[in-house]
Amino acid sequence: MAIDYSALLYDPIYAELGVPATMIVQGTAGEVELTVIDDTRSKMQASAGVDVRSVGPGAFARIPELTAKGIARQLYQGAVLTFNGRNWTVRSYEIRGSPNGEDLGEVRFFLMAVEFQ
Amino acid sequence: MADDVRERILVRLGEIVATMPSIKQVFRNYVDLTEDQLPAATVLDGDEETEDRTDATQRPPNRPTLAHMTPEIIIFKLAPQVGPDISTLRSELIKLVLYDTELNQQIVKTGRYGNGTIRYLGCQTDLGWERSMFGALKANFLIKYTLRPDDL
Repeated sequence: MAIDYSALLYDPIYAELGVPATMIVQGTAGEVELTVIDDTRSKMQASAGVDVRSVGPGAFARIPELTAKGIARQLYQGAVLTFNGRNWTVRSYEIRGSPNGEDLGEVRFFLMAVEFQ
Repeated sequence: MADDVRERILVRLGEIVATMPSIKQVFRNYVDLTEDQLPAATVLDGDEETEDRTDATQRPPNRPTLAHMTPEIIIFKLAPQVGPDISTLRSELIKLVLYDTELNQQIVKTGRYGNGTIRYLGCQTDLGWERSMFGALKANFLIKYTLRPDDL
């Protein structure tokens, strides 16, 4: 019998590290509540020998949770994701997979700032 | 009193870039920026060369000679759409440098150093993602002048 990684791995991790988030998907009304793990990291861009330091905002979410709340894969890009007091737009994503199949794994959202000075 | 024309040119380039209205900070030879400092520009001194490698005459070593330097000016910006923004900054930068009266007439062209010229050699761009889209543009210039060892 296959191990249920959602129950044994992802659920405890998200219970510990996850933070509440809301997602607004383009073309739909209202916002969806979900749990994400903030994966914003420091990021440095080197151009012409000059380093520019910033962050690479990102977040993990569980695909089963997204699917259960009506957010299919084709709706990810362009969605507005709010967590930890900041608003982001999903500019891209990558499927992280799972031993139980990609549909039961995670997605990592690559984010960009909604408001920018 | 020392009057190094190369240093004067580099200082003037920094002053020129500082007049660009959308540039928040200008640095010289500083290579570690943070996003809060953007939009920013860095003036890199670049190389200096003369044609004296092939000069086998017995003229005095301290005679004036033609030199050219190739400073680089890099502009950095974070923005949702960096393409048009970088293009605008490029246009501003090129015009400011090529049309600058002090650089063109007092230092390079008709000043006491003589025989000078300013050329825009081209640019290279770089893109990436940080908090938002990141764009950089490096503009290359060539500035020719008379190097007078007595002035150093």
